[in-house]
Amino acid sequence: MQKDDFSKSYVVEGKLALPYTYFAGRVGSRFLTTLRDHKTIMGVRCDTCSKVFVPPRQTCERCFSDIRDNWVTLENKGELINFTVVREADKHLPRKTPYILGLIRLDGADTPMVHIIEGIEPDKIAEGMRVRAVFAGESEGTILEIAHFEIVPPCGMRSRQISTNS
Amino acid sequence: MSEYYGIDVDDVFNTMASRFRPEGAEGVDAVFGYDITEKGKWKLSVGQGRMALDITEDLSGCDVVVRVDEQTFAGIIAGKLDAMAALSANKMKVEGDFNLFAVTGKIFTKYVPPGQEVEPEQELVMLKRTISVNQRFATGPIMGTFLQGLKEKTILAIKCPGCGRLQSPPREICAPCRIRNDSWVEIGPAGEMRMLEYCYYASPDPLTGETRETPYGAIGVLLDGCKDNEVFWHLLNPQQLNDVRMGMVMGDKVVHGTRLRPVWSANRTGSINDIKYFEIDE
Repeated sequence: MQKDDFSKSYVVEGKLALPYTYFAGRVGSRFLTTLRDHKTIMGVRCDTCSKVFVPPRQTCERCFSDIRDNWVTLENKGELINFTVVREADKHLPRKTPYILGLIRLDGADTPMVHIIEGIEPDKIAEGMRVRAVFAGESEGTILEIAHFEIVPPCGMRSRQISTNS
Repeated sequence: MSEYYGIDVDDVFNTMASRFRPEGAEGVDAVFGYDITEKGKWKLSVGQGRMALDITEDLSGCDVVVRVDEQTFAGIIAGKLDAMAALSANKMKVEGDFNLFAVTGKIFTKYVPPGQEVEPEQELVMLKRTISVNQRFATGPIMGTFLQGLKEKTILAIKCPGCGRLQSPPREICAPCRIRNDSWVEIGPAGEMRMLEYCYYASPDPLTGETRETPYGAIGVLLDGCKDNEVFWHLLNPQQLNDVRMGMVMGDKVVHGTRLRPVWSANRTGSINDIKYFEIDE
C-alpha cells in the first residue's frame, strides 16, 4: 500500500451546531436588565478596596468581600486602555472583519470591559482615546444592549476628522 | 371579626381601589354585586377606566351578583378553593352575566393579606443560543478508502500485518503492534449484535449540526469475517431498540446475538451515513 497515494482522499464539509445555555446569575442579570430597561451601565463597588468593578461581580477579587448589593451607576463614557483588531473572519463573530475590540475603562470604574469600537479605521485607533457607549435601538437582553462604543472627538475636533482616512 | 385562610374579607374590599388596574378595566362598563352571607353587600361600578365601591343593602341594577359565604369567598381569594368547584358544590351562586364575573381577575391585582407582601422576584437572564461552526474534515488516504467503499455498498476493514487484527473504521497504525496496517479486507455486510447502548442524550452531529432523536441505540456489530472485539459501531433501527439481544463470549461459552444487516441510504456520498442504520436480519 502506497502511503502517499492520495487518490482516495477527499474533504468532507461539516457544520457543527453548538446549542448552549448561558445563565447570567443574579448580579449579571441585574447588570443586563438595567442596561436594557434604563440604558444605564452599573457596576459594584468594594468599599474595603475602593475598587469599582464593571462588569459587576458578586465577590471582590482582592479581599473576597461580598459586594453584590453595593451598586454604583457609571458614566457612559470612558477611556480606551487597550484594543485589538480582529482580522480573521468567522460567521459567529458580531461584525465583519476587520473590526476593533477595545478594553474600555468607564469613568468611575477601576476595571475595563470589552466591547466593539466603531467609527474609526483600525490604523487610526490609539490607546488613551475617549469613547462613549452607543445604545442599541432594539433590546435583546445581552451586552449588545450597548451596540458599540464610539470615539469621542477631542475638544474642538469634529468626529468626521478622525473617522476618515484624510 | 372572623377570618378564614388568614383573609379579612373587609380588607379585600377596602383595598380594591388600590388594586384597581385601569388598563385591565379597559372596555369594561358594568356593575358588580357581592353578597357575602352574614357579612355585607358591596356594589362595584366599573366604567371608563374608573371604579366606585359602595356598601349597600340594595344590589338591584347589578349586571352580575355573586352570592357566597364568607369562608368560601376567602378561600377563593386566597387561592385555596376553586371557584368552579364552589359553583358546582352550590357554595357560590352567580346571578346575571357570568362572563362578566370572570373579567374581575383582570381588573384587580391579586389580593395579598397585610404583612404577606413579597418583594417582586428579580428577573434572571438566561440565554439560549446555538452557534453554528463550519468544519472541514480531511479523510486522508485510509479513511478515504473506507468511505469510498461505503459509497459502493462495501464495508472495508484494514488488516495489521503483525497480529492480523481487523479495524473498521480503519486506522493507519495498529496501535498494539505499532506498525502500519497494509491490506484491505471486505467484511460483512451482515453480522451479529454484540453491544447496545441506549443513548438518552444526543450531542449534535458534527457533519450536519442536527441532533438526532433520543433514545437511540448505538451498537457494536460483529460483522461476518471479524472476530473477538473487532466490532463495527453504528446505529440500530430505532423501532427495534427492544427487539435485539446482545451476543458475548465467556470462556468456551458463546452466546450469539441477533443477526443484523445494514440499511443503505439511496443517495450515498462517501460518508458514514451511507449506512442509515442496522436492522434485524432474521
